[in-house]
Amino acid sequence: MLNLLGEQLLNGIVTGSVYAIVAVGMTMTFGVLRVINFAHGEYFMVGTFASWFVIEKFDLGYPQSVVFAVALTALLAIVVGYFLMRKMVGAPFENGVLATLGVSLILQNLAVALFGGSYKFFNGGYIEPVELFGYGLAQQRILIVIVCVLVFIGLDLMVTYSRMGKSMRAVSQNIECCEIVGIDVQSVVLWTFVIGASLAGLSGVLTAPVNVSVYGGMGELITFKTLPIIIMGGLGNVRGTLIAAMILGIAESFVAGFIGLQFRDSVGFVTLILMLMWRPHGLFSLQSRF
Amino acid sequence: MTLSGMFKGFPLKAAALCALALTGGFLSQAQAQDGDIRLGIVSPNTGSNARYGSFALRGAQLAVEEINSAGGINGKKIKIFSGDSQCTPVEGVSATQRLIQEDKVGFIIGDICSSVTLAMQPIVENAKVLLVNAASSNPAITYKAGVGGFKWTYRNYPTDEVRSLVVLDYATKQKNFTKFAVLSVDSDYGRGAINFTKKYLERFKSEIISEDYYKDGEVDFRSVLAKIKNSGAQAIIMYGLADTTPIIARQMVETGLAGKIPLIGNGEFNAPATIKAAPTALNGAIEAAAWLPGWDTPRSKEFVKKFETAYKGETPNNHAYSHWETVHLIAATMKAANSTDGEKVRDAMAKIKFDSAVGPITFDDHNQALVPMILLEIEGGAPSIKGAFVGSIDYPKN
Repeated sequence: MLNLLGEQLLNGIVTGSVYAIVAVGMTMTFGVLRVINFAHGEYFMVGTFASWFVIEKFDLGYPQSVVFAVALTALLAIVVGYFLMRKMVGAPFENGVLATLGVSLILQNLAVALFGGSYKFFNGGYIEPVELFGYGLAQQRILIVIVCVLVFIGLDLMVTYSRMGKSMRAVSQNIECCEIVGIDVQSVVLWTFVIGASLAGLSGVLTAPVNVSVYGGMGELITFKTLPIIIMGGLGNVRGTLIAAMILGIAESFVAGFIGLQFRDSVGFVTLILMLMWRPHGLFSLQSRF
Repeated sequence: MTLSGMFKGFPLKAAALCALALTGGFLSQAQAQDGDIRLGIVSPNTGSNARYGSFALRGAQLAVEEINSAGGINGKKIKIFSGDSQCTPVEGVSATQRLIQEDKVGFIIGDICSSVTLAMQPIVENAKVLLVNAASSNPAITYKAGVGGFKWTYRNYPTDEVRSLVVLDYATKQKNFTKFAVLSVDSDYGRGAINFTKKYLERFKSEIISEDYYKDGEVDFRSVLAKIKNSGAQAIIMYGLADTTPIIARQMVETGLAGKIPLIGNGEFNAPATIKAAPTALNGAIEAAAWLPGWDTPRSKEFVKKFETAYKGETPNNHAYSHWETVHLIAATMKAANSTDGEKVRDAMAKIKFDSAVGPITFDDHNQALVPMILLEIEGGAPSIKGAFVGSIDYPKN
């Protein structure tokens, strides 16, 4: 029993790491823009598709495909960010919902139009199992956890010490004041969005080897898994997102392992409802944002 | 299902509807000449089951070309009209209605997904259009057909009940398994198959010790596999989706289940791509299939050869076969009835004896084909055929 508990805890941490990398991008975008990016999962999908495409068509190695995928996602994010997200500063809330939903539909259907609606098989990555604390685990999953830790250390350092990071915090607190003191709000929004979308793309390629299937609608599930996490973490709160992602990952793992797999997806939505009822500002206080 | 799922494809559909309203009637009139036999095919052509739909359409198209080039039926040619169900009952019903009302089809083959077929049955019944299902395996479809109610539904495909019975029989008698874990897809198909397995558990003195169902699109099976590993189950009963099997198989390798607890049931365990994804996890897997490309009869081999020639060397799957065979079955029934009138063909089908590639097909009083299932086991990275079994089931008393 203790053995199984440990294994489920490990599974939860691995799942939570994936959620964390995806969710942090969404929460950062919300922080500076006050917009829930409904297309966030689609950048996850674009990253996966890009990697799959260069591996299948150009016979590229997996590490190179990761670089290509993240670069392509970043490029796409620059285009979308420049023409769309940047202009969302100060716009009514509905604009953000409609615009990002629109982007989501376009990207999803573009993937289907370009590559067909069927599931693709992802060949690549490090799927050989290794033993960790006596539990079998694909090497790729260890890589995911390591990358997750690195990403969060990097983000924490960035928002604490770099000029860009400080501007991001400033913009998330008071846009008008930023404009008065000469911070280019639109550019901060653009680059925050690019970082967030690229992280989604990165997590897409990182999980592709273990998730195996690549298809146009794959981002949708991710977006809706991410929503409860960023709300639980406190919208815009980077550290809170990591903890919330781990909580959801572990909770899902225990539900799947001890109650039944069919109830797994309900964990996120039950959490969402409970959070909205009792702590709409998240588990952690708003002050700790960034 | 989800917010963006609701909007997905909306602009496309709206555009298609406008185009249909403007030109639809003329187009189908122009394409099909008077006197053609109009055959509708309802199948998932987009979405996660699109691959099956594509196989089904190609199989049917191949049969139609064969029949038409051999002179048609009493001089009449068959013309296919396709409807996209997306594997959801809502889309399937509207596709069926379009085929009946706009394309004026007299015969429909469809769907692959059981949930869609169940929803189509009342519509064809009202419209008096003959539905010959070629790929749905939920037993309820023919529980409700023939003497069970729907007169216009036939099915030329073995049911999950037969499949469950054949698999359980083989696993308990040949492999001496008695303790099973369930990991099936959360759908009419997945849950239905498990209910029928339960019906026969007592007969084979075996038990199910854990029961889990996964959603379409699920990618994380580590938790449930860890539970199964620790539960003492000897095999995993899986009635699942072909696209998900490789994901589960890979995670079985990860969690150390591969080679210890085999998969039994159905989910394209024998597909080369699936085996390649995780050879050790699929070794020993037992699957009951309606048909597979390796089935060694002259008619089956001839079909594989024709299909590969017609579609650039692609190997057909069982949906391609079953749709190909069902078009031939309908054509043979029309010849036997010496008519293409829906009602006469329907009545003739009840009495037909048709020689298919897997064996002779006849229909019982529930309009269910008594067609054999092929049982195979994956040995050394390739499927090995263990034989064909016909299961005659007991219908529940109404």
